[in-house]
Amino acid sequence: MINDEYFLAALRLSSGNDPIPGQVSAAARDAYRLRVPRAVTAAYAESATIRSVRDDDSSHLVRFVAAGLTFDLEVTEGDGLIDVAGHISPYPGEGALVDVRSPHMTLTRRIGDTGHFVATGLPPGWLSIVCHRPGHAPIQTAWVRIRPCP
Amino acid sequence: MRDPREPAELLTAAADGDRSAWDELEHRFGPRMWAVARACGLGPADAADAVQGAWLRLLQHLHDLRDPARVGGWLATTVRREALLMLRKERLGASSFEIADDPDPAAAVLEADGRRTLWQSVSALHEPCRSLLQLVAIDLGNQQVAARLGLPTGSVGPTKARCLEKLRTLLSLQETAQ
Repeated sequence: MINDEYFLAALRLSSGNDPIPGQVSAAARDAYRLRVPRAVTAAYAESATIRSVRDDDSSHLVRFVAAGLTFDLEVTEGDGLIDVAGHISPYPGEGALVDVRSPHMTLTRRIGDTGHFVATGLPPGWLSIVCHRPGHAPIQTAWVRIRPCP
Repeated sequence: MRDPREPAELLTAAADGDRSAWDELEHRFGPRMWAVARACGLGPADAADAVQGAWLRLLQHLHDLRDPARVGGWLATTVRREALLMLRKERLGASSFEIADDPDPAAAVLEADGRRTLWQSVSALHEPCRSLLQLVAIDLGNQQVAARLGLPTGSVGPTKARCLEKLRTLLSLQETAQ
């Protein structure tokens, strides 16, 4: 069954109306620099509940799991920017680093010996974490979209 | 000059670090991804996010798409899922996305060949369906379509649904005949 929405999309596309904006194409091409060769991708863990941890719905928990590592992220929105407080378990070891990435900026952080890290002031939008451990393939979380509450 | 490589080749090349292959994938599939996001009812800012999200997901699955030849369908399906998640306002629920290895069969109409067939099929419809769908394609609202075709405004929605049904039947018949 082909649904109407795809029909209409195809019709609009054929007509040349509403073309893709140049900056959307440019952003897609630019995304290639976010490729992490040989990385393992940590999927969103269905078993973990994404939940608001504050009454005003400004903070959320999200969990990813891959290759024996669990990423727990608390993402807080405020003043149009997002802060990430993360925990990787088990402790990924001496010399491990995380990149907290949005399409527009990457913040690199050393992981504390408790497995915690913090990154603040990221723009809202797509977010992914990459964990680099000496002697191992990098592990990246699937991208999540974080938008401030309307 | 256009890159003559097949989608599967482009995907492999992009996975191996060939930036030009990635650019070509965007060139081929970006416009239909935008069309899908807009067709789902997203405004320009959210549509841009949905398209960007699909590319970011592809970046993480360059090596493990089940059917690399259908990367275009995969991208269209992925945009659609992102768009529907946004529409459900599940802000962090977007992270529950699973790998969309099975392209939605509906995405076929957005492939280049499917689009040609679709447009030919629209032209083969009787009036008012032919004109109505051509007007819908350029995004005219129901009132304008009604004015152009001399129909009561209230009848445009139901007529559009009937016309899409006829188009669907016509395409099914063509598929059966092939």
